[in-house]
Order: sequence, then C-alpha cells, then structure tokens
Amino acid sequence: MYNSDNITCKRIERLISESESYVRFLYVTPCIYTRNMLLYQLESKICEIGFLSSMLCSKANQIKSNHVVMPQLNQQTQESLQNQQNQREFTQQELAKYNGLDGNPAYVAVNGVVYDVTNNAAWAAASHFGLTAGKDLTSEFASCHAGQTILNKLKVVGKLI
Amino acid sequence: MSKRIVINPVTRISGFMEIDAIIENNIIIETKTEGLLFRGFEKMLNGRNPFDAVYFTQRICGICSTAHSMASTLALESAMGVVPSEQGRYLRDILHGCEYLQNHIRHFYQYTIPDFVKLPENYPLFTTDQHDFRIPKQKNDQIAEHYFESLDISRSAHEMLAVLGGKAPHNHGIFVGGITTQATTDKIIKIKSILHTIRQFIINKMIPDAYIIAHYYSDYYSIGRGYGNLLSYGCFDRYKELGTLYVNPLVYLDGKISTFDSEGITEEIDYSWYKSQADAYKPLETIPDADMNKKNAYSWVKAPRYFDKPFEVGPLARQWLSGEYRKGISTMDRTIARVLEAKKITEVLNTLLQSLIPGVTVQEEYRIPETAVGTGLIDTTRGALGHWIKINNSVISFYQVITPTAWNLSTRGNNGLPGTSEQALIGTTVKDVNNPVELGRIIRSFDPCVSCATHVYSQGDHVKSIQVVQ
Amino acid sequence: MSDTRVCPEYAARLETAAELVNKVREEIRKGVLVKRNLVWLELTGCSGNIISLLDGSNPDFKYLISQMANFIYDNSLMAAEGEKAMEQLFSIRDKEYILAVEGAVATKNNGLYNIIGRWKGEPITALKAIELFGKRATHVIALGACATHGGVSAARPNPSECVSVQSVLKRKVIKLPGCPCHPDWFLGTLAHILLYGEPELDSKDRPLLFYSTLIHDRCPRRSFFDQGIFASKLGESTCMFKLGCRGPVTRVDCPIRQWNQYVNWPIEDDTPCIGCAQFGFPDRMEPFITYNTTRGVRNVKEDSNKSGYTN
Repeated sequence: MYNSDNITCKRIERLISESESYVRFLYVTPCIYTRNMLLYQLESKICEIGFLSSMLCSKANQIKSNHVVMPQLNQQTQESLQNQQNQREFTQQELAKYNGLDGNPAYVAVNGVVYDVTNNAAWAAASHFGLTAGKDLTSEFASCHAGQTILNKLKVVGKLI
Repeated sequence: MSKRIVINPVTRISGFMEIDAIIENNIIIETKTEGLLFRGFEKMLNGRNPFDAVYFTQRICGICSTAHSMASTLALESAMGVVPSEQGRYLRDILHGCEYLQNHIRHFYQYTIPDFVKLPENYPLFTTDQHDFRIPKQKNDQIAEHYFESLDISRSAHEMLAVLGGKAPHNHGIFVGGITTQATTDKIIKIKSILHTIRQFIINKMIPDAYIIAHYYSDYYSIGRGYGNLLSYGCFDRYKELGTLYVNPLVYLDGKISTFDSEGITEEIDYSWYKSQADAYKPLETIPDADMNKKNAYSWVKAPRYFDKPFEVGPLARQWLSGEYRKGISTMDRTIARVLEAKKITEVLNTLLQSLIPGVTVQEEYRIPETAVGTGLIDTTRGALGHWIKINNSVISFYQVITPTAWNLSTRGNNGLPGTSEQALIGTTVKDVNNPVELGRIIRSFDPCVSCATHVYSQGDHVKSIQVVQ
Repeated sequence: MSDTRVCPEYAARLETAAELVNKVREEIRKGVLVKRNLVWLELTGCSGNIISLLDGSNPDFKYLISQMANFIYDNSLMAAEGEKAMEQLFSIRDKEYILAVEGAVATKNNGLYNIIGRWKGEPITALKAIELFGKRATHVIALGACATHGGVSAARPNPSECVSVQSVLKRKVIKLPGCPCHPDWFLGTLAHILLYGEPELDSKDRPLLFYSTLIHDRCPRRSFFDQGIFASKLGESTCMFKLGCRGPVTRVDCPIRQWNQYVNWPIEDDTPCIGCAQFGFPDRMEPFITYNTTRGVRNVKEDSNKSGYTN
C-alpha cells in the first residue's frame, strides 16, 4: 500500500468518528437552528468520505488495469484552483450578459468579486428576493447579509473592474 | 316624506359595500351601491412576467380565486396562440367546477340562510335584531343544522379542487395548456367519491332547504327583478366530443335569446369618478384615470354594458339561457337557480371525470411572445368574467379585468339608466323602514364580490344609518 | 433540572393543531380554561383567509365557534348587518378579546380606500379599525400575506398605499404569513394562546411550531436538487428550481402538513413553490414560473463519469 493511501484511510476513520459524534449531538440538541447547522456539517463530512472512498476505489481499479493516473479532484477544488490561476476580469457591461437566462450562467458581483450563483438554491430562476443576476449587488448584499460568511460557499469566477 | 337608508357593512358578501337608498311611502325610489375597497390590480400587473398573472390575479378574490386563474389562463392562451388539448380542458374545467360547488354551498348556507332562518342564539355570530323569520321552528332548526353540516361539504369541495389543484384558495393547478399535473386513477376515484357525497347533500338537503325558504318567503318571487336582461360568456361548453355540457355564450334580451358577441362589451364612465378620452370604451382600449371632481359622478364602480344595455350575470342567467330553469327572474329565483345549478355542476363534473384518460401530461415548455394581445372570457360562479392582456417586450403592458360583480353592481349607464342591482332595488316595498331586511336580501341574491370589483371609496356626506332627508 | 428536554422539532411534529385542540378541550372541562372572545377583522385583501379558515378540519370552524372561542365579529359570516353589526364589534371594546386580522391596512387618503363599515354615521376605515381594536386586544394575530407584510395588496406600485398590521401597531403582533394562511397555522396558534399563552416565536414573530424549517430542507424532491436534475416544464417529477421554486427561501411546514384535508400541496402538484409564506411575497418572490433559466450545468453524476468513476 502507498503511503498516501494510508493517510487517506486514517482521514476516513477520523471523518467517520466525527460523523458519529455529530449524530450523537443531533439526538440531544434541543435548538432547531443548531440541529440544522449540525445536519449541514454532517452532510459535508459524508461528502468528503464519499470523495475519499471513490478515490481509493478508482486506485484499486487502476492497479488492476496497470494504469497509474492520479484521480481528479472534485469539481469545487478543481475550480478553485483554476480561479486562483486565471481570474477573469468583468466590466459592468460584460457582467450584465451573465443574467442566468437563455443559456448564460448567473453571475453577481459583491465587493469587486464576481460569483457564480447559477445553481445556488436561493437563486431560483436566476433571481433572489426581487434581485436579478448579472449585476453588482454590493450594497444590497451589505443591507441583508452583513457579517455573514455565505460568500465563502460561492464559486469565484473573476473580478469586477 | 322621503327617508334615506344606509346599510354598511353589508355583511355576508365577499368584500365591503354600502347600500344607500331613498325611500318614499315605503317604496325605494333611488339607490346607490358603492364598493368600499380598492387595490388596483390592473396597475399592479403592468411590467410583470405574463405567466405570473395566473397566480397573481387569483389574489383578487379569496372565494372565487379559481375563476381568475381560468380567465387569466384563457387570456394568456389567446395571446400565445396555445390551443389546449381536450384532456387539458376537461381537467381544468373539473377544477373550476369544484369551485362552483364550494362557492354555491357557502353562499347558500353561510351567506343566504341567515337572512331567512333563525340560527342558534348562543353563538354571538348569529345574533340579529331582524324579526322577519317565518319558517316553523322544526323546519327552521333542521335548516340550521344543515348550516353546520354544509361546512363539511363545502370544505370537501375545496378538497376535491386541491387533489388536482395543489391547494385552495389560490390553486396552483390551472395553467396554460390545462392543468399542471396528471390525473391518476387514485386521484380520479378520490374526486368521484367526494363528488358523490356532495351530490347527495345537494339533492337531499340543499335543494329542499331552498324550496322551504321559497315557500315561506314566496313574496320574494316578485321582489328584485331588475331589467331581466341576461348574459353568459359560456362555460363547460363546446367540447369537441362532448359538445356543450352546460351553457353556450348567449344573451337574453326582450324575450329573445341570441348568440353572444364579444365586440359588444364596453365600459361606461359618465357616472363614475374616472376620466378618459372617451366616456365609453372597449376593454382593450383604455384603463381610465381617476377624477373625483367629475360632475354627476357618484361612484367608483364602472358600468359594463353589452351594446349599451345593462345585463344580469350569474347562476340565474345561465340556468335561463341553457333552458334548465325559466320560472322567473327575481330575488328568490336567483337563490333557486343557484342551488339547482349546484346539482347541474355535479352532473357536468361526473361526465368530465368519466372522459378523463389517466396519466396524460398536458404541459409544454412555453415561450412568451415579444408582443401579443389576448382575451379570456369565461362564465364563473358569479357570472361573466373577462380578462384582457397586452404583452410588450415579453412583459405585461396592459391588463383589464371586468368582473361579474361589476356587471351586477354597476352604476348608471351613460344614458342615465340605473345599473342591474340598482334597478332590482328600485320599486321594492320596504315593510319596516327601521328594519329594512329587503335590501340586503335582494343584493345578496346577486352574490356580490366586492373584493373582485376593486373600487375605491370617496368620503360622502355623513349620514346615520336611517335618516330623514326630506 | 432533572427532566430531559424533548427535542422541540420532534415535539413540533407531534403537536399538530388537532393535538393542541384536544388539550384545550380537556382544560376547558377541568374548568381551568374559559373560552375567549375572538374578533376577526377583514381589511384590505381578498377575504381568502376566512375562506381558508372554513376549510379547517380537526379543529373545524364549528369546533372553533362552539368550543374554543366566542366568535364575536366577522363581516363575511355574521348574521347582523349595517349599524347592528358595527354595534356588535364596538361592544367588545370594554372586554378582553383576541384579535385576528386578515388583509393589509390601506393608508392612502387617510385610509379611505378601505371602509369596513359605518359607526354612528362615520365611516370606519381599515386604518381606524386597526388602531381602535389592535391596541386593546390581549393578543393580535396577523394572518395571511397582506396582514403580515402587505402582501399582494401592497404589490408595486401599491396603488392604495397598503402596509402591514405591524406598521400601524406599536405592540407585539404574532405573524402567520401565507397566501392564504393554512387553517392549522391559525387554529394551532390560537389553541396555544388559550392553553399555554403565546407560542414560541422566531425573530420575525412567526410561531416556530409551523415556521421553523425551510421547505427546501423537507422537500421530497430535494435529492433531485442535490443531483442537479431539474424539470424543464411543469408536470415533471423532478426539482423545479430552474422554473422558479422558492422552497429554498421559504420557511414553513407545507411539505409535511399539506393542504385541504392534507391531500396535496403545490410541489406535489408539479408546480414550484411561489414563496407565498415568505415576507416580500409577491414582488420579491417573482418570477413565479419561467422557462428560460439557464440549465445544463454539470451535475455530480456527469462529473464522476468524466473522471472515469464508473462504479
């Protein structure tokens, strides 16, 4: 076994014990908001376990077929890597094209950063509480989500210039 | 000596209205009916996504929301050039029929009955100081029991509606093309089963109760006639295979029935607080602006007319035009026609349910045209309902609604002749001016829905509820 | 503190309106609880909430007016009319009562866009009525979209200048948004007041009993969303996010409660949630239904195929 596999297995074991503790937590937590938060964290642990186990599986298959290819990272990690490498620049006019309609992705800008909200749950039909995509929504964001960390979850696609 | 009677609120109607009547020697010689609620839906709809009109316009009215989803869907289909399949039509007409039943049962028991039947006094809701209760105690109490029983029945009519329509009031099911979901066997049999119970109730209780009331209040067969002009846009009609199950678009005028022509619809505003380039216009021409300084105007209610004449719309008009009931036109005939129509609707629904093919999808991926014009005319619970839409830049640029209540509660026309319900009040003998029960009974027989009529109110003279004005 | 607290989420599922009402009935029989006076004002709206109330079952309307409350006033249902009806309403002023309000408050022209009746010859506007009766009530329950936040009555351009009940009342107003309000949401809240006092409310004064969880989090079609499988038209059985579903921003219990004898609800009817129980409906929940939203974004399955994960 490769050393990296060993690390992966250790990681999976740790994730499973973390998940178990979340489940125990869920049984006793009275507050509904905390419960929802725990559920969210549990879900992300399960996702990570899923990723790591499929990585191991694919390795096993590759060994069988004598093909050594590194498994690909998941979509999000891959994209965030790309983001760091080539930050696209958008003018206001260019951004306006990304209105989430007729085949265009839905992008919005906050504090100079352009985010992809195409599949964000709160952006059904590329609209969010009367706001539409393809716009700089810095002030709207500040008036509703000040102090929240929700931007971290969004995919960055570029900068607004 | 003349007396002035003001009744406000007119309870047991949907929305708010005032009846203002001048009485001479116990006979009503002049009346005004005023709607007291304005929201301005036509203005709100401008600039919105045309598809949203189907759910948005339902909020015009809580008791007849399905009617507005029908008319807005028809207007959209007309604008988009969409022709629904026959299965699509059956499905949405079934939902519409469920609303007829909910509405008629609630109107008869919850809105009409308290006018004629003494309800148990231990409920504060049923206290009243009117004394004109004529039905013998045993029969009276039996109808009062049915008042409570009817609550389960009208509720189950909404349950039927929700089986295919998602929820009620304000259903989600009726949409361009028919309805949104599929009729599966379990849903069809559920609706049939509920319908069976409703039909038994209508036949065994509601219709006999109406005839008991008619027997003890037979004078109401000669009160509140109005002009006797009747109009229907048609409903449950002109199916390819089934033909017309209820009533075609027809009008009754001067003893003759003729085909309805939508070109004949106008609104007149000489006696309403509106200004426009023309004092009479067709529905797609204009939405007039408010003008409260206008001379001779006395109301915010407009006056819809058909070739310049006022018409009555509703169950009696449909029963008459379809030949189901032609005994007379009066306050009591309207009530009888309503309960008979409820029975008729259960038959129509049974036929439509039998014609359903389970599992048929009628939805498409629709596109809004850049510009278009559409008209949706349909007879609904209270009568003829019209929606007119114009689309520009793929959004709504014009929306006109003419409701059944606007027909029935209209102001005078430009020729000075009173509106339909005003005419029905005029000439009525009020037996006791301190207890003028006749006015409310006549107005309620039209089942007015002022929420629908979207009028505004102007502060007039302060009057006491009954006042001598010389 | 020896007792273990039961999880409120679990308790909430058990505490249906029917359950609460049964408790109310038991308490009444013990003589602990007396029926309370209830006044129902319909203001600037469509009267859809009183119709929805008639659709309630277990408890139903008859149970409400015979066992839970002395139902004093509602203009849609009361036998009296005109001055007599208004006397009935005004007679409550010196007594204790709970006030239920549907419809927004029209403020244009000093409220003259909505008159609810005449009292001693004077027109009583919705605005005046809410000021008169809102302050004195022991509890005020605003139900439906219009009463809770203006709703459709206040939709742009808001021709009658409608506002919520809270905007004209400086006091606690319990809010039950929804268009219309589900009968259980109202009757359950009323039962809670009768039995235990005011229910636990969130930061926007909505009872947690009904408004704690996003529709999205209990949606039976959630797995389609997570897999990125989106319906392209109504009538499909997958996620309607791309058609405009507001389930992800609407906090209410429709998925588990359902409507009209609990037979159906909008998403089960193959239509998107239009966010009618969310503040800001309708203007901030539009478009309700739209077909040209961009789809075709890679989903998890396609990704794993690309990566060669076929197992």
